[in-house]
Amino acid sequence: MSKPDYVYVTYIETTAEKLWNALTSSEFTERFWFGYRATSDWKVGSPCNLSKDDRRSVQGEVLIADPPNRLAYSWDVVKEGAAREQVSRVTFDIEPYGGVVKLTVTHDNLGPKTLRDISGGWPMVIASLKSFLETGRELPADLLTSGAREPYHA
Amino acid sequence: MPKPEFVYVTYIETTPEQLWDALTESTFTRQYWFDTELQSDWKVGSPLALVMGGKTTDTGEILEADRPRRLAYTFKHVLDEDMRKEPATKVIFTLESHGKIVKLIVTHEGFGVGSKLLDGISKGWPAILSGLKSLLETGKAVTIPPAALGIDGFE
Repeated sequence: MSKPDYVYVTYIETTAEKLWNALTSSEFTERFWFGYRATSDWKVGSPCNLSKDDRRSVQGEVLIADPPNRLAYSWDVVKEGAAREQVSRVTFDIEPYGGVVKLTVTHDNLGPKTLRDISGGWPMVIASLKSFLETGRELPADLLTSGAREPYHA
Repeated sequence: MPKPEFVYVTYIETTPEQLWDALTESTFTRQYWFDTELQSDWKVGSPLALVMGGKTTDTGEILEADRPRRLAYTFKHVLDEDMRKEPATKVIFTLESHGKIVKLIVTHEGFGVGSKLLDGISKGWPAILSGLKSLLETGKAVTIPPAALGIDGFE
């Protein structure tokens, strides 16, 4: 099997169910995902959207919904002004180990621009998710626009 | 082909100074780095030893120590029969302040083709750095069972 395009692993002190709820509840994603709401009924084949201030950035289709272990959806960047690229796919694997949950985010079939964007985005979103679940406080919203997101690699 | 290396980025609610101390003082590292002590005076050119449960697992030399911005050291695994034959690698920590948040970039590079060490550290760093973030933000490192990492022989 070929290596996936992008993988990010973290460990969070929470339960698999709480992590699943955080990833699939628009009220929760709005807090840790820097204002983005993830909306769907999370049934396989259903549409899902990521939107901020009622403007859609990503549209997709639910590909796998196996709560609380595995969630996958397609990822089509439809943000206004953004060049369209091939549709990619994100998968969240949730594995409990004692009092912690291992979260693996795998993002595949990426075009070059989307790869660059998500490589800067996921570490920030997942760090905020971990803080949100462990401390009740997400990372500050202005972090997204502070320049911190610039990918390290030119 | 891209160079074989490992890069991990995370964001921690702390100060660069606190993060630096957590990366260099054993009272902190023992809490999140699977009970590992880091022995060094952190001066450029000085030796470094990583000691886990009384056994030295890795050794290195301090290459850069610019508190609280940049820390770099060589890193050579000395315990495992196969990995101890691999060349010395290099770890670089970059700490960037963004308001109340510190962006931490860990780059581990210099691996040979087909490196077993690269596979091990790629599974190790996410767990170590997750524990570090929890420790600085909550005062308590999460207890990650070594088996969760999926490294052969680390259970």
